[in-house]
Amino acid sequence: MSDSIGSLRSYNPVVKVLAPVPAMIVTALSRDPWTPAVFAVIALVMLLVGGGLRGRALLWTIAGPPLLVALLTVSFGVWTDPGLVDHTTALLTLGPFTLWSGALETGLATGLRVVAVMLLALIAGLTTDGTDLVRSMIAHLRMPYRIGYAGFAAMRFVPRFRRDLEIIRLAHRVRGVDGGRGPVATLRRYNGYAVPLLAGAMRHGDRVSLAMEARGFGAFRTRTERRHVPLRLRDAVLALWLLAVCLVPHLLSGVLG
Amino acid sequence: MSEVLLRLTGVSVRHEVYDEAGAVSHGVPRPRDVTAEVRAGEVVLLLGPSGCGKSTLTLTLNGLIPQVVGSRMDGTVTVAGTGTTATTVPALARDVAMVFQDPDAQIVTATVLDEVCFGPENLLLPAGEVLARAEEALRRVGLWERRGDDPEHLSGGGRQRLAIACALALRTPVLVLDEPTANLDPAGVEEVYRTLREIAADRDRAVLLVEHNLDAAIGFVDRVLVLDADGRVAFDGPARATLTGHVDEMVALGVWLPVATLAALRLRAAGITLEPLPLTPGELATALDTVPVLPAPRDRPAVDVAAGTAILVRDLTVHRGGRPVLHSVSLSVAAGEFVAVAGANGAGKTTLAQAIAGVTGARRGTVRVTGQAGFVFQNPEHQFLTNRVEDELAYGLKVLRRPPAEIDARVGDLLDRLGLRELREVHPFLLSGGQKRRLSVGTALVTRPKVLVLDEPTFGQDRERATELLDLLDCLHSDGTTVVVVSHDMHLIAEYATRLIVLADGRVIADGRPADVYADDAVLAAAGLRPPPIAQAARALTHHPGWHGVTRLADLPVLEPTR
Repeated sequence: MSDSIGSLRSYNPVVKVLAPVPAMIVTALSRDPWTPAVFAVIALVMLLVGGGLRGRALLWTIAGPPLLVALLTVSFGVWTDPGLVDHTTALLTLGPFTLWSGALETGLATGLRVVAVMLLALIAGLTTDGTDLVRSMIAHLRMPYRIGYAGFAAMRFVPRFRRDLEIIRLAHRVRGVDGGRGPVATLRRYNGYAVPLLAGAMRHGDRVSLAMEARGFGAFRTRTERRHVPLRLRDAVLALWLLAVCLVPHLLSGVLG
Repeated sequence: MSEVLLRLTGVSVRHEVYDEAGAVSHGVPRPRDVTAEVRAGEVVLLLGPSGCGKSTLTLTLNGLIPQVVGSRMDGTVTVAGTGTTATTVPALARDVAMVFQDPDAQIVTATVLDEVCFGPENLLLPAGEVLARAEEALRRVGLWERRGDDPEHLSGGGRQRLAIACALALRTPVLVLDEPTANLDPAGVEEVYRTLREIAADRDRAVLLVEHNLDAAIGFVDRVLVLDADGRVAFDGPARATLTGHVDEMVALGVWLPVATLAALRLRAAGITLEPLPLTPGELATALDTVPVLPAPRDRPAVDVAAGTAILVRDLTVHRGGRPVLHSVSLSVAAGEFVAVAGANGAGKTTLAQAIAGVTGARRGTVRVTGQAGFVFQNPEHQFLTNRVEDELAYGLKVLRRPPAEIDARVGDLLDRLGLRELREVHPFLLSGGQKRRLSVGTALVTRPKVLVLDEPTFGQDRERATELLDLLDCLHSDGTTVVVVSHDMHLIAEYATRLIVLADGRVIADGRPADVYADDAVLAAAGLRPPPIAQAARALTHHPGWHGVTRLADLPVLEPTR
């Protein structure tokens, strides 16, 4: 893991999760396309410069946002209630359907808002290790470590759950369960998986918790933290930067009138 | 005399039981009135028939009973001078470390090193001390080089060694292990026992071990504590003297003895007395070699194989997640064979079994089964669909739309055969482990399949239940059903199977009579298998070459009935 100041990975996970929140709120509440566009670009640049992304993650970070914006623009253009936008320019008429410029604009703004919020969340999402986030939450947010470790245990449950479900599905098929197709039959089938799945999960959970207590979990109010997740000056700078960015719409309204 | 580290005085445990209305009461005590002590440097093996409360007793040693698990405990347990009810369970982790049966249920963190550090961190030790202990413990079990790995990527034996390292890192005076090898393949059992032997040799702590695999454990145990079926202490004394001196009582109690000892008992019945009574394959071989003349081993009855082919597999190749699991496997099984499929974890055993029974679809090659095939999964609960035992049995026939009279007759017949008649209205999930297993086999049997395929049906079960199941399969086999069992229990395979197929890396590397396969060391090594104890002893004989092919108890001579 890089500790260089230019790498987002070296920043405190809690700061990375919490500091973009004000910017996300400002973005979500904005109505113009400029505010989210600026936020999206800022977040994207931060990720590309400091994220150390590679391979598929890099590809999706670059290609994903424009695709999503395009998709949302077009679909809003088609689905927006014409009553709201029929005062704008009609771009295209196809039989009973008219494409209004206002609809496209709404779509564009919405797409940009979604993408901007997503990219702001990815600042933490793509550069943070889950366990470090939990460690940092315990150290810096005073979250009880029992909750944090319950989270760890839950994360380990997921692949096990998936494996069990796969086997149960096979086992039921072998027994001749075939409720047919369609949502009702599927629902009934999944209902049948629930009992064995939950019984297995509860037993496993029980065993895990016994094993944890047997190893001293909960002996004291705190635990030794071998890996200290630092909270440094650079984290304050990151937080201030992300707060300062919230002034963008104000500045924009000055520039654009 | 060294210091007493563990002292139990009049310990009885009664588990909470819920009646149909949900009201709580307490069941019969198991264990009952146990008084015993374990001293520093001792390794004590806890034995007893299934259901006598061995595992329950281990849970009292660090206070999980009565503090966490819902049950009532009478009597007292003290560990290194501290009463287990006087302090909390986590605080007792300084004095008692536990290793449980299921390695997967003991893993909390994402790396091997973090996992071993977890315990010492809980005890608020300084970070430097935590690391020092973790390193020592990991080196002890041979996992230091893999400290950065995800525990998921270790083998079963590796994960259980990790659990042992986690216990060692707590540096407790008392170490308790509850069936640590029950969920492992033979290679894993071997690994864990190599580690345990080394730890026991240190003589620096008190070790209490529950284990049904006596063949592996007997070599390094000092003392045995034997409970009877009511949970009372039946015997408590030096391991060898107690087991050999009370061998007939042990058999009567339903305690599993080492296979070498069982063999000696069988020979004794045939008029060949071995002195001293052997406990290990090596001792059995030595004792047999001192007997000047041995009768010839019994001939195996020729396997009654029908002319017809029951299963035909040709060029079967299966890929999973882009990785080949089976490489162009071809085999044919005649009707009436009892086939065992063995191999290391990940060799493709389950995939082959599922393909034979038609459980999995997409594949290359052909699989043809004459008649209908039934499949029994490793975990019986995964297969249960209804809320009552008898509905569970009837389900397969209802799917086939059989007339109600026929369904009733067959279900009634199976209920008797499986010993489940009294329980026919019970919810399948409320049955005991052995009953669930029998019911799951019953659900596959009800449609009278010509071929029955079972995936590790004895996994995680003790010898009693395993034998009970194998006897049931043996009956089916005698009635003409073709049986295919995936298993790594070499002893059971040797006793029951007529044919053994060994897989390694998705290929068949051996296929023949179990006795012939066990003679091939290269195959066994490649598949991570060990010959069963009797075969080990037979092959070590120097004076009786005629016995080299003996692999199972049933091969030993018996007393000819006098007329």
